Amino acid sequence: MARESAFGLKLGDFGIFVIFTAIYAAGTLGLPKLALLTYQVKVGEIPTAFVAIFGMPAVLGLTLGQFIANLGVEASPIASLTPIFSFIGLLVIYYSRKFSTLAGCIVYILITSAWLTFLLPTVSQVPQSAVAYSVLAGQFIAVIIGYLGYLLVRKSMLNKHETANEPKATVSS
Amino acid sequence: MLSFGAVLVGFLYSDTRNWRSSISRSIGRIPGDTALGTFPVDINLTIQIIILTELLLFGGAFGEYFAIRARFVYWPPAGSPVLDDFIARIQTLILISSSVLIEWAVWQLKLGKQRAFKAGLVGTTVLGSLFPILQFGFEWPHLILSNILTPASGFFGASFYLLTGIHGAHVVVGVIAYCYTDIRAFMGQYTPNNHGFVEATSTYWHFVHIIWLFLFALLWQGSRLLA
Repeated sequence: MARESAFGLKLGDFGIFVIFTAIYAAGTLGLPKLALLTYQVKVGEIPTAFVAIFGMPAVLGLTLGQFIANLGVEASPIASLTPIFSFIGLLVIYYSRKFSTLAGCIVYILITSAWLTFLLPTVSQVPQSAVAYSVLAGQFIAVIIGYLGYLLVRKSMLNKHETANEPKATVSS
Repeated sequence: MLSFGAVLVGFLYSDTRNWRSSISRSIGRIPGDTALGTFPVDINLTIQIIILTELLLFGGAFGEYFAIRARFVYWPPAGSPVLDDFIARIQTLILISSSVLIEWAVWQLKLGKQRAFKAGLVGTTVLGSLFPILQFGFEWPHLILSNILTPASGFFGASFYLLTGIHGAHVVVGVIAYCYTDIRAFMGQYTPNNHGFVEATSTYWHFVHIIWLFLFALLWQGSRLLA
């Protein structure tokens, strides 16, 4: 029943797109930031690595989720550019999934941290040196938690695949 | 006026003359294990047209909201309350859970697991029906009867009830669609090769969900900006 659109997406992918949008937007707006090792971790960043499994619908969903999350906070107009940098980082994870998802995640962390290190002092007059380290650490913790979850899910998917392909034992009389 | 009435009568006649046979065909007269075959109209095209019209409707409503908002230096206007988002958070959780559940249910159907599919579908219907109960049974009465925010309390109040009202009505329609889908599922009318209506209903539900995320960000979180 599914029909492919011009972007290679199917109507059936809409659910994945919306779920990732919701996880990012609700995880950022509805849940407080997790305090881990004195760093503030955004819950919405955790599912980032799952882009490698769910593909382009997840990339677009997380980007829209970030746009929606930005609507609910008072920030300067320049903050609305944030989803563009996230989108670029998510695309890197998506295209690097065939050789190294971890490398893609690290590039994502670097891109988003660099942007936030530039943005936060601009909109809230905090010193750049104070922001840089905490932003990088917060992004790193969130994405790596997600990456560990991604490894678990991937392992369970591979196990299921192998079990399904195993030849069934025959009973001989 | 007369020509409009004639067109309307003609449309209603052509649209409703087959209802009886369509309803009896889809609900009553088909043995449990009979697949219905292809839907007479491309269901993907149908749901895309529905989503497009909904986009226009909500686009107009959000356009009105932003047009009013642009007239104010500070938004929400002074005197507007900071809304408690406890119920809204529960509603968000309900919609996320129901979206995940219906995706899982459709996946189970494609694998041929009918029991899991039906359980997921019923679970989605129950979760979906909680949403309007919370909105129209708890949140709205609380806000209006406690005089915290009423439709008459300025532009923010009017926008709030307009947007959440239109959205709530769409959620009710989604729940009705799910009830119909449940009936057909328990009659065994969906198979791994015949589930277009389920996917169409879930697509509509996901759309309603995404609109809610915008409302949650703009109205509940947005009401905190002034504070």
